[in-house]
Amino acid sequence: MYMTLSRKKWREGTLLIPILLFLCVFFLIPLAGLLLRSLTEPSFGLQNFEQLLATSTYVQVLSNTFLVATLVTVISLVLGFPLAWCITLMPNGWGRWLLGVILLSMWTSLLARTYSWLVLLQTSGVINKTLMAIGIIDEPITMVHNLTGVIIGMSYIMIPFVVLPLQACMSAIDPMVLQAASICGAPARTVFFRIFLPLCKPGLFSGALMVFVMSLGYYVTPALLGGVENMMLPEFIVQQIQTFLNWGLASASAALLIILTIVMFYFYLKVQTDSPVSTNTGA
Amino acid sequence: MSLQTNNGTSSHSPLVCLQSLNKEYGNFTAVDHINLNIQKGEFLTFLGSSGSGKSTTLSMIAGFETPTSGEILLNEHSLIQIPSHKRGIGMVFQHYSLFPHMNVRDNIGFPLDIRKIPKAERDKKVDDILKLVQLETFADRRPSMLSGGQKQRVAIARALVYEPDILLMDEPLGALDKKLREDLQDELRLLHKRLGITIIYVTHDQDEAMRLSERIAIFKEGKIVGLGTGKDLYRKPPNAFVASFLGSSNFLKVKVSGPNSATFEGQTIQLDSEHDVPFNQQALLMIRPENLQVLSEDQATQSPIQTDENEAFGTVNESVFLGESLTCSITTADGSLVTSKSIATDLPEIEPGAKVRLRWKVQHSSVYSKWERSDIEKDAS
Amino acid sequence: MLLSQGSMGWKLKSSLYVITGAIAAFLALPIFFIVALSFGSSRWLVFPPPKWTLKWYEKFFENPQWIDSAMTSLQVALLTSVIATLIALPASFALVRGKFKGRDYLYSLFTLPMIVPVVIIAVAVYGVFLNLGLTGTLFAFVVSHVIVALPFAVISIINSLRLFDKSIEDAAVICGAHRLQAIFKVTFPSIKPGIFAGALFAFLVSWDEVVISVMMASPELQTLPVKMWSTLRQDLTPVIAVASTLLIFLSLIIMVMAGLARRYSNR
Repeated sequence: MYMTLSRKKWREGTLLIPILLFLCVFFLIPLAGLLLRSLTEPSFGLQNFEQLLATSTYVQVLSNTFLVATLVTVISLVLGFPLAWCITLMPNGWGRWLLGVILLSMWTSLLARTYSWLVLLQTSGVINKTLMAIGIIDEPITMVHNLTGVIIGMSYIMIPFVVLPLQACMSAIDPMVLQAASICGAPARTVFFRIFLPLCKPGLFSGALMVFVMSLGYYVTPALLGGVENMMLPEFIVQQIQTFLNWGLASASAALLIILTIVMFYFYLKVQTDSPVSTNTGA
Repeated sequence: MSLQTNNGTSSHSPLVCLQSLNKEYGNFTAVDHINLNIQKGEFLTFLGSSGSGKSTTLSMIAGFETPTSGEILLNEHSLIQIPSHKRGIGMVFQHYSLFPHMNVRDNIGFPLDIRKIPKAERDKKVDDILKLVQLETFADRRPSMLSGGQKQRVAIARALVYEPDILLMDEPLGALDKKLREDLQDELRLLHKRLGITIIYVTHDQDEAMRLSERIAIFKEGKIVGLGTGKDLYRKPPNAFVASFLGSSNFLKVKVSGPNSATFEGQTIQLDSEHDVPFNQQALLMIRPENLQVLSEDQATQSPIQTDENEAFGTVNESVFLGESLTCSITTADGSLVTSKSIATDLPEIEPGAKVRLRWKVQHSSVYSKWERSDIEKDAS
Repeated sequence: MLLSQGSMGWKLKSSLYVITGAIAAFLALPIFFIVALSFGSSRWLVFPPPKWTLKWYEKFFENPQWIDSAMTSLQVALLTSVIATLIALPASFALVRGKFKGRDYLYSLFTLPMIVPVVIIAVAVYGVFLNLGLTGTLFAFVVSHVIVALPFAVISIINSLRLFDKSIEDAAVICGAHRLQAIFKVTFPSIKPGIFAGALFAFLVSWDEVVISVMMASPELQTLPVKMWSTLRQDLTPVIAVASTLLIFLSLIIMVMAGLARRYSNR
């Protein structure tokens, strides 16, 4: 009896050995090492954090990161909402096509998509030409290597991450509830703001948090579409390491980024109450 | 309790024997030292509400749960140390649990393949059992292409093909609609008769238990509180819980006044046979609604009371016509609420407010000295 | 009424459709644009292209650097996918079937690499591998990719295992199969689509990985995204459009495969 019990425990333990070993050796220890470096290089203390928060150019990087993440979150929410709504309205036919477009965009190589925007947005690119042809602008406007490019490119990448949770949330809403509201005499606008939108809140919230967290740590798109003046935190980390070999400062920034991410994610988990692993066991 | 050591009618040693079987999860006792003998060829049902320990007991017999203490004997050999796959037990699961990636034939052949039965013999056995459950024409279908009833039959065939000593069934009809369920219950009863196999059946549906089984074990909070044929358990429930769990019942509080008598609302009434209640103590008298006869004053004077009958007085609150029967809710002289149920042929309308007499035969009542409030409250189950 | 097409006001409905159409176009446009450009003749990526040509494809396939990096990518992605699945599979079983405390915490740990910004994982692993002289090796690529691919495999397998009715496995056991035998004969075939999807996701994550790969690469050993990245930083040659088109094509194939796997599992 006791034997079978402990044997079972032992078996479950063995199943976890490979993943625990792998993550410890290649993920947790390097991560801990990196974070430790923020306190030990070049000498023990908090000097890296002080430097990070006292130097105005570095603070500029931090505020830039937040600005971009916030803008991207807002834009992708605004653009993602109608998409999710339409997919929920038409679960078959066109809705499925819309979902297909979103999934395709999500799984298409990040570099390919960013490259495409680089070409589309350049001074001699299609967008500038079109705008000039319609007569909206007289001279090409600069849309790459600045904040505009970063915002466009990143919003584009983040939209799917809003649509998917939002759509799941919307399709769980009972349409009868909305009907009930309009039977009660509420006009469409009231139903939208008083009933529909509040019911979408969990989806909006988890989508927004997800996008914000991802935007904070995004490297590729800002590095290609952004300019030197408006650098973001991830780029700053890589630059400190690759160009200046300043591991201390880079590690301090990384620590800051991790703490931000994990705090945000803690909120994200708070929103989602479901346990991801436990099965719903019947009696 | 005496009923737990009741070995049934046969004098052979039992096929399955549960001895002081106990299962605890932390502080929660799921199965509380139960004793039970199951005879060869018997159809026994574990009946109880969810969480009563019936499924846990079944799981322990199957070997999916390890008992905290106690013994399970099959043919006088202990099963405790034997893993599930070597117990040679057949089982039909709640949702059939057919292998979705195999067709019907391979599903049924699976136990034989595991036992490395030669192909020719395997095929013959599968064909035979397919014929038995009348699924020959569906042999090459995937489970997803079958109806609920057909899946059920495949599951039974898969459990029977290796000729197990005993077949366990865990609420196998729970997922089906009422009509189909009744058809399959009849089918299952016939199959049991034809094959003579031992079946332990778990359900929370008392009608199903009555319809199917030879004996019923009623579970409550990990204990077996009633064991016997459906008829005996219904007619002479061993305790108030069984009385209220099986069918509906009226409970009247009486004061015991002699070996065969008690007072109810100031009147002396007769009790059936002996009882262990001390004199002058409160006891609970149980009468089934259909055994309670309602007579208007006129009728009562026309037909005098028999010697084996008791009588009480009451006022009608409401009578409801239910097609085949008529139920009457009546308040007795001292305010107890009772229900009567009678076959609705040529009954006079009984108006609310009418004074009536209630009569019941002495042998139709049971008396209990101990009970819990929850046993006799209407929603106890 | 806001959730059923029939009873929606036509003004609201048509404006919603137009807006959604525009956003969908915004999502799809860059992808089609890049495919079109890869066939365009203009070195300066003029659109619409003056002429259609296959010369950029020739350039791509003639250049051993592109081919080598593509082969490295394939190799790394395949290894990553296999290793991540093999590590994730037993762990998923332990998490779903186990009754021990702290399973939710372990799940969070396993999915942590998905939450921690890739750049930080890249820098952390780079710091260690640089000291060990491992950068620029296949080992470094595969190990670092497995870290980020693991959560995808774990999530996919755990989801399919949670949906799998364990009593089917129990049925096999009571039929006489040993627990392991039951897992291999009944459980694995049933959750195959989930395992397969997990492996595909892991493959795609590795195939598309840029940040870590840039850190791990050496001039001798680089993956396709690294080659694209370094080329991209110099100039916007249409050859990148070719590489992008090939990547898009591969994603499409894998998406269709994953879709088929899902359809198969629903049957």
